[in-house]
Amino acid sequence: MPAFDGHMIASILGVALLGGIIGLDRTAAGQFMISQPIVAGPLTGWLLGDVTAGVVIGATLELIWVLDLPVGSFVPADATTCTVSSTAIAALGAPAGAELPLIGFSILLTSLMVPATMKADGLVRSANFRSADKVMAASGPDLGRALTRAQLRGLVNFFLKSALLCCLFIPLGLAFVGVFRRLPGFAQEAMSLFVKLLPLLGVAAIVRKLSVMTVDRFVLTGFAVSALAGLLVHTPAPVVLLLAAAAGWIGAVYRERRT
Amino acid sequence: MNGERSRIGIGDLLILFGRSLLLQAVWSIDRMQTAGFAYAMAPALRKLYPDAGEYEARMRVHLEYFNTQPYFASFILGAAVRLEQDRAEGRDPGADAAGLKASLMAPLGALGDSFFWGALKPMCAAAASAALITGSWWAPLLFLGLFNVWHVGLRLGMLFWGYAGGGDAVALMARYPFTRMARRFKIISLSLLGGLVALMPFWRQEFRTVVPVPPAAVAGAGLAATFLIVAIMRRGGSPVQLMLGLAALCLALAYAGVVL
Repeated sequence: MPAFDGHMIASILGVALLGGIIGLDRTAAGQFMISQPIVAGPLTGWLLGDVTAGVVIGATLELIWVLDLPVGSFVPADATTCTVSSTAIAALGAPAGAELPLIGFSILLTSLMVPATMKADGLVRSANFRSADKVMAASGPDLGRALTRAQLRGLVNFFLKSALLCCLFIPLGLAFVGVFRRLPGFAQEAMSLFVKLLPLLGVAAIVRKLSVMTVDRFVLTGFAVSALAGLLVHTPAPVVLLLAAAAGWIGAVYRERRT
Repeated sequence: MNGERSRIGIGDLLILFGRSLLLQAVWSIDRMQTAGFAYAMAPALRKLYPDAGEYEARMRVHLEYFNTQPYFASFILGAAVRLEQDRAEGRDPGADAAGLKASLMAPLGALGDSFFWGALKPMCAAAASAALITGSWWAPLLFLGLFNVWHVGLRLGMLFWGYAGGGDAVALMARYPFTRMARRFKIISLSLLGGLVALMPFWRQEFRTVVPVPPAAVAGAGLAATFLIVAIMRRGGSPVQLMLGLAALCLALAYAGVVL
């Protein structure tokens, strides 16, 4: 288990501060998508000196969580706090650079974090409801002041929720890392395999939500175009993806004209 | 105290835009974005109604229940300010701000959820994740740039459009065919994901398999596995359950000595 020295505590507090700030972007302020796993993961990894862990965790969790939508009163899992905490667990759990099994294990730990984030979101919303009630009860010159106070209190509530959850998840996760390292070799190999297969799970999660077809023709179109360009002609990956996007666009326009 | 009423200018609309970024700061299950809407409207109402009593009465109107897609709220905010201006200047003394908000928030909420959350965000995520997994370090910047060009552009544009048109949602739909764009973005997302699977042999080292088989076979197996997972997912399951299921499968495979 990693040592909880001054440096470790300072790192956890720093990550909690980062988590709290970018967590505001998730609901309370702006929603510029800085809070999305694909941004939050690499950013956290970069700050802790392990970009690879952040990139792997951010890219996979982005695919898996992107269509967990905040529609109406539904509160989805807090993918931001999960990503920041998971990246920090991987980076702080192996100061020389997290190895693949540890990254996989850190991603798996997010499944334990999700219920706690949803419970915490519920508590913040209850606190916000009381703040909003105070605004309704205010009158005269107090109304404007009550409104500003409620806004500030709401921002503080959302910040504290993310920051405190990071402070809770990271030390607990690091304790689990100590246990994970003592597991037999096949468990380590399983977590490497888990990381390699996660992108396919993420791709499938999006396809399932965006298409009613299990074998979707636009997935096949993108696959065929990219296989030709990437595997046969050896075109660079960004160009291949651009071609796949163009093929999708042409397919969409063609379908519109036909219908 | 009665003072002189002022007109709403571009500066006021920009202040409104800045405050609209905090629309959900006090988001709660019952009140939703109500307090945020009133907070955004407050400076404009203060300018239009110098009389304290009248200002408070109008604030009360804007403290009625409000909830919509947060980016599309700009359009309703712009329309509400225009309506309050017409009311304050006597052009439309009976203007019904509560009615305007009630009539627009549900349809624009549904349209906004479908466009921003259901189409634009997945497309940007698919493009950026595919770029990141295939080794492009700048993918997070691509995600932020691609999403926010649309997000900030439309959010700001809709505020001014709502103010100029007084809440004419039909004109908004004619100007921006959101449904058609959403359909196209979803198809591009699917195509990009197909492209990502085809590039499986060229994924970052961390995701690459170590099995010595031809690249085409790896890509084909990836596509077959993806469709198989989709078929399993059609039976239901949350992302967490799916992750746990995959972890259990990996443990079983690793125990059996399967290494990829």
